[in-house]
Amino acid sequence: MILDFQLHNLTVVEELESGLWRITLKAEDSLFCATVILEVKAPALDIRFAKLEVTRDVFGLVPELAEAEKKLIGVRVGPGMTKIVREIVGGANGSDRIAELLLEAMEMLVNAITVPELRKATELGGTKPETHGDDSVTELNDRVIGLEMIRKLAANPRLKDSCAAFKGLD
Amino acid sequence: MRTTSMPQYSRLKTCGVQKQGSDHRLVSGVLEDELYAMQCEIRVNWPELKIESIKTRMKRFTTDRCLLAQDFFQNCVGWSINAELDGKIKKEIGRNGCRHMAILMVDCLHSLVRAELARELKEALSSNPQVDKKQLLDDFLKRNPDLKSYLRIN
Repeated sequence: MILDFQLHNLTVVEELESGLWRITLKAEDSLFCATVILEVKAPALDIRFAKLEVTRDVFGLVPELAEAEKKLIGVRVGPGMTKIVREIVGGANGSDRIAELLLEAMEMLVNAITVPELRKATELGGTKPETHGDDSVTELNDRVIGLEMIRKLAANPRLKDSCAAFKGLD
Repeated sequence: MRTTSMPQYSRLKTCGVQKQGSDHRLVSGVLEDELYAMQCEIRVNWPELKIESIKTRMKRFTTDRCLLAQDFFQNCVGWSINAELDGKIKKEIGRNGCRHMAILMVDCLHSLVRAELARELKEALSSNPQVDKKQLLDDFLKRNPDLKSYLRIN
């Protein structure tokens, strides 16, 4: 059957200079298209620049967000960001959808920062997995993080009990 | 905003919605980044707004224990699309299973509902290019009150 609706969502994280990250998230569907650009500086991971651009809003519901852009400066990627971002950008006078895209962009920075750590963990504590799931022929997961390293990673409170891999290890 | 740096990380998500007869909708989703690749297909009964079936594939993952998450994905069968659904997916599929599959499922189900609204708007515009979109949205939400807080259209 032919598709009658599509969503495309692309997030890209770049390190512009040491410790300065730019996150660009674009989400587009038949009713809505928006781009969120954030620049975030380590070590506090505070927002130094924010741009919220809506280029399609078929129902005309998203208000002007220039004030919200200014209020985002200084907000930190970390605990408590969900409440703060929803208060600044979401709600009856804002845009809940843009607030969620912003939070997603901020979470993607955390993922980006995690990639080198997981790469290192795979190199140091990698193992050939016992099962490959349904696609064992092509072996996409030829090397994954083994149990010993999983236990070490699970010591991080952010990861402990966060998903099936880090649950029930005690 | 031109840069000279190479991307450190990127994540692509796509969702596609099909109408299958008058009472079924099918949404398929793909998520891929440096670490994870996930796929799901969710069939929903419409207008009962209930998940009837789901097929998932954890295509690429990071640890030897990630596939344990698969035990939880079928738990969403029978769940209704309403204001509590996102939280339920994130908690019961995400925290017990896989956060990345949960994120994809949330996007898929929002797409499915937005597709319904987009389809109605397209039909209305084909007969009346000047249709009152806000009235159409109000009518849609009146007919589907469970979707009012779920749709997150603004």
